[in-house]
Amino acid sequence: MTDSRLRDAFYSTTINQFPIHPTNKTEHMQIEKFYYDNKTVKWFGYAVMFWGIVGMLAGLWAAIAMYYPAMNLGIPATTFGRMRPVHTNAVIFAFVGNGIFMGVYYSLQRLCKARMFSDVLSKIHFWGWQLIIVAGAITLWAGKTSGKEYAELEWPLDIAIAAIWIVFGINLFGTIIKRRESHIYVAIWFYIATWVTVAMLHIVNSIELPVSMWKSYPVYAGVQDALVQWWYGHNAVAFFLTTPYLGLMYYFLPKAADRPIYSYRLSIIHFWALIFIYIWAGPHHLLYTALPDWAQSLGVVFSVMLIAPSWGGMLNGLFTLRGAWDKVKEEPVLKFLVVAITCYGMATLEGPLLSLKSVNTISHFTDWTIAHVHIGALGWNGFLTFGVLYWLVPRMWNTSLYSKKLAGTHFWIGTIGIVLYAIPLYWAGFTQSMMWKSFTEEGQLKFQFLETVTHIIPMYVTRSIGGALYLTGAVLMVYNLFKTIRKGSFVANEAAEAAPIPAKIATHGRTYWHRWIERRPMQMLVFSLIAVAIGGMIELIPTFLVKSNIPTITSVKPYTPLELHGRDIYIREGCYLCHSQMVRPFRDEVARYGEYSKAGEFVYDHPFQWGSKRTGPDLAREGGKYPDSWHYNHMMDPSSMSPGSIMPSYGWLFDNELDTGRTEAMIRAMRKLGVPYPDGYAMEQANKDLAVQEKSIRASLQGDKIHTGSNKEIVALIAYLQRLGKDIKSAPKEQTVMKDADGSKVMGN
Amino acid sequence: MKFIHYLEKISGVSVYGLSSLLIFGSFFLVMLIWAIRADKGMMEELRQLPLDKIKGAGKVPVILLVLVLMSSGAYAAGPPEPSSIDNPFVIVSIIIIIILALAIGLLANVLLGAAQIPSEKPPASASPSEDQKTYAGGLSVTASPRSPWSKSYLFLTATAINGVSDTAFYFISGVILLEVIILLVLLYNVRLVLSIHKKAKAVVAGEAAAASGKPRISWWDRFNKLKPIEEEVNLDLGHDYDGIRELDNRLPPWWLYGFYCSILFACVYLWRYHVSHTAPLSGEEYTISVQKAEIAKAEYLKKAASTVDETTVKQLTGTDELAAGQKIFETTCFACHGKAGEGGVGPNLTDEYWLHGGSIQDVFKTIKYGWPDKGMKSWKDDFSPSQIAQLASYVRSLQGTHPANAKAPQGTVYK
Repeated sequence: MTDSRLRDAFYSTTINQFPIHPTNKTEHMQIEKFYYDNKTVKWFGYAVMFWGIVGMLAGLWAAIAMYYPAMNLGIPATTFGRMRPVHTNAVIFAFVGNGIFMGVYYSLQRLCKARMFSDVLSKIHFWGWQLIIVAGAITLWAGKTSGKEYAELEWPLDIAIAAIWIVFGINLFGTIIKRRESHIYVAIWFYIATWVTVAMLHIVNSIELPVSMWKSYPVYAGVQDALVQWWYGHNAVAFFLTTPYLGLMYYFLPKAADRPIYSYRLSIIHFWALIFIYIWAGPHHLLYTALPDWAQSLGVVFSVMLIAPSWGGMLNGLFTLRGAWDKVKEEPVLKFLVVAITCYGMATLEGPLLSLKSVNTISHFTDWTIAHVHIGALGWNGFLTFGVLYWLVPRMWNTSLYSKKLAGTHFWIGTIGIVLYAIPLYWAGFTQSMMWKSFTEEGQLKFQFLETVTHIIPMYVTRSIGGALYLTGAVLMVYNLFKTIRKGSFVANEAAEAAPIPAKIATHGRTYWHRWIERRPMQMLVFSLIAVAIGGMIELIPTFLVKSNIPTITSVKPYTPLELHGRDIYIREGCYLCHSQMVRPFRDEVARYGEYSKAGEFVYDHPFQWGSKRTGPDLAREGGKYPDSWHYNHMMDPSSMSPGSIMPSYGWLFDNELDTGRTEAMIRAMRKLGVPYPDGYAMEQANKDLAVQEKSIRASLQGDKIHTGSNKEIVALIAYLQRLGKDIKSAPKEQTVMKDADGSKVMGN
Repeated sequence: MKFIHYLEKISGVSVYGLSSLLIFGSFFLVMLIWAIRADKGMMEELRQLPLDKIKGAGKVPVILLVLVLMSSGAYAAGPPEPSSIDNPFVIVSIIIIIILALAIGLLANVLLGAAQIPSEKPPASASPSEDQKTYAGGLSVTASPRSPWSKSYLFLTATAINGVSDTAFYFISGVILLEVIILLVLLYNVRLVLSIHKKAKAVVAGEAAAASGKPRISWWDRFNKLKPIEEEVNLDLGHDYDGIRELDNRLPPWWLYGFYCSILFACVYLWRYHVSHTAPLSGEEYTISVQKAEIAKAEYLKKAASTVDETTVKQLTGTDELAAGQKIFETTCFACHGKAGEGGVGPNLTDEYWLHGGSIQDVFKTIKYGWPDKGMKSWKDDFSPSQIAQLASYVRSLQGTHPANAKAPQGTVYK
């Protein structure tokens, strides 16, 4: 009680002492009247709700497929390998993407005291983005994928994304330039950094050579592709899921809590530190892989240095709530924001810890990573979006929320959902990793891979229950907001007034040096670009130019045409989402899979297929491990060869004809990318070789009483699987063994 | 429960040890935080507690407490099994029991002293009965939520400690647990009594006293260098973005120094791995781990009975051994060789034709090293030599069983 009295007293004093009240400030100037565009915000809001539900449903589907493989209904489109990219793309680019635009279009106008630069661009932006999403979903379900995580969309859509992103940029900067506010607020710094960095990441990572309308190969191969991909993948998290949402936090939190931002100088320091350091941390996704050690180490140290800048955002958020914690108890919006910020803090502490090599040894390739990601996705992005929606909708429809109680229920269901989602997966990840690493005293692996999978199935079940709860909460929200919209009346154009920026800006009190750049959005853009470009360049350029980073192995040869077809099928079906192709230098992995992977093995891999999760075993050394007929039976019915397997059956590969008409274009594209096929090989020889190899595999199947029609996709896939890791087995020892390591003695037999 | 069972199977990680450490750790962390939070004012109050008043009304509880202490002390001194006295676990437990007992005694003293205050000076607050109610409620509330916690604690340590009989172990843990619960209840009540006391005092002292004194700075505020909310006016920068104001608070010192530390860490890390080479890179780390494992394996094998290999392996005939071999066969080999060894993807194992020899040595060798070109993988990293011997013996025992759907003979006759 005394608190609120004090606060009231405080507010009256501020208003008296400081000329910050709009009427005081604009006394002597010509006041302009204008209207905020709420319509675009509304449409983006609808899109957020719609795609949120769709994306979460896809996620739930994929989660159930983890323990109930028949969930795929025998249809290619609904199989885990295609459902998972649909889920990730839908929640990241459709749900969170539209969430960003909704929040930016609302807050930017008010922070700039100006309507959006162009209504036409707003419309193009909205509809363009939705079209990309729809096209993305369709193509992913159809198996049109570039095979690079979080950047699966094929080249025509990549171009469309770039175009729409530029439209967004023009609208963003246009609005900032015609603003009526002398300085730009911290939220806008984050929007600017987001725009410029996402543009850079998307363009660099999507440089690819089209083979056909819906197929392309990235120009990078193997280690280089991996580095570019995770430089992108990591910073997609940073600059698509983090910085824009920090911007939203900086607007909606102080608005909802009616409190001043805790520390302006913390904003400055954490903003610049965050964007500068974040970009370097990508290689922490590739620890213990064939990536050169120096790049891995950079990934580790920059991740650790990232803790403080990330926490700066959390602290500035939570401390802003000082004196408003009594409101948090009653206001659902604030509840969602508080949990979101807390989850952000947790995830950004956990991330650097996972980047430490000793922890990464345990966590990587397991469900631990999935749990970590979902603390961020469900907690930070999801809850912040919900909070913003609960705040925005009643305001734009000029009414109050239909039911605060229902919002409270949503909050609790969602929170329990997150807990039920994350804890079983942490447990599963840790358990599985420990089982992988267990040896008997006699020096044998203690568990078969399959045992480590069947062990954690109960955790998968619990996880899907958590996910279902979270989705239920989101449905409740949609209902609640729908009811709110029904009882309110929409304000499409919200009247506002402000004075234009005076020629000379009066300063009072002390001013920070940083105020200089806050009046210059273009300089802000340039400095942000410099800050984010440094880390990327220092890591990428040496990996591309310095030869010693990728030692060559003479026995590593390009894929045969049939294998190349098989590889495309492997990518199309999303095999890389459950199977890694990267044996790390650990005792257990070498014992389980064979010699650990070397950089030189991947020089013809466009794109690389190292994977990030081992739901199934690693396949880097799969070639020759089992007979062709084993693979045939296994793809037909995995549990016939591996009882208890959670892999779905791929029946359609046995019916689909191999499209040999594509061979020429594929080989040509690979040649252009520097894969040394002989001159003129693409024309006829390629398909001749293909036929020979196809026949020999069919003959080998026939030997095991399996009769298959000619030119079926399954044969190409078997050819590819049987090739994996074969080259290095015939490599001269000195090319595959580290100079100072004498571990080869242990490895050879 | 099932999850815990899973974890139990994992060798090399003493989950129970870790968990109990975690629970104890967090308990003491809470204690520590409480102690730090106990700022000067509270210490002052503790000092002023009329401890001499105990002689009056508090006699009965004191006697009770002393009895509890005595009894636990007595139990601790004489655990049921004399042989376990020299067990390190028992010794450590006894020390813990004694320390906890001392803590209980101390706290009980404080509490009894503090409990005098409300009765001595009737609080001026409007509803003293309500305060009393919460106080009483607090007692019952604290006791109950602790119990699941304690159960899990018991469970967690149970299997982790060897060398003490079950009864002795549960007894010792029970005493420690009881003490911990008493301690928690006491702590809770000390706080409650103090807060009642403080409230009463504040009301008596009135607002005048509060205004004259310096504003109280909590440990949290000090830790984050938070300025009292009343001084916010002086920090306002005068910025106004759509009604959002900004303050000029200083950076929390722990945050700033944490940032510096992480930068220092980065420099040291890079130096160690890439300049001074005092930390192993991933390839070197691998070599080290394999060497270590080889040494451990050699040590183990020296102690264990000599292991079999393809030169020393003999056909096993014991039913247990063949059953063990059958179990492996039916979970692993059947996929290619059929449930009864009739063949499928792989060759028929029941006829007298063999591709790579049919002696026990040959079969052992085939399983151990595999014939990778023909699709038979090496199983030496999956199964131990003795397991391979069991498996090979079982495979040979299938000779002449003539299962249904047998695959056509491959290879040459081995007699």
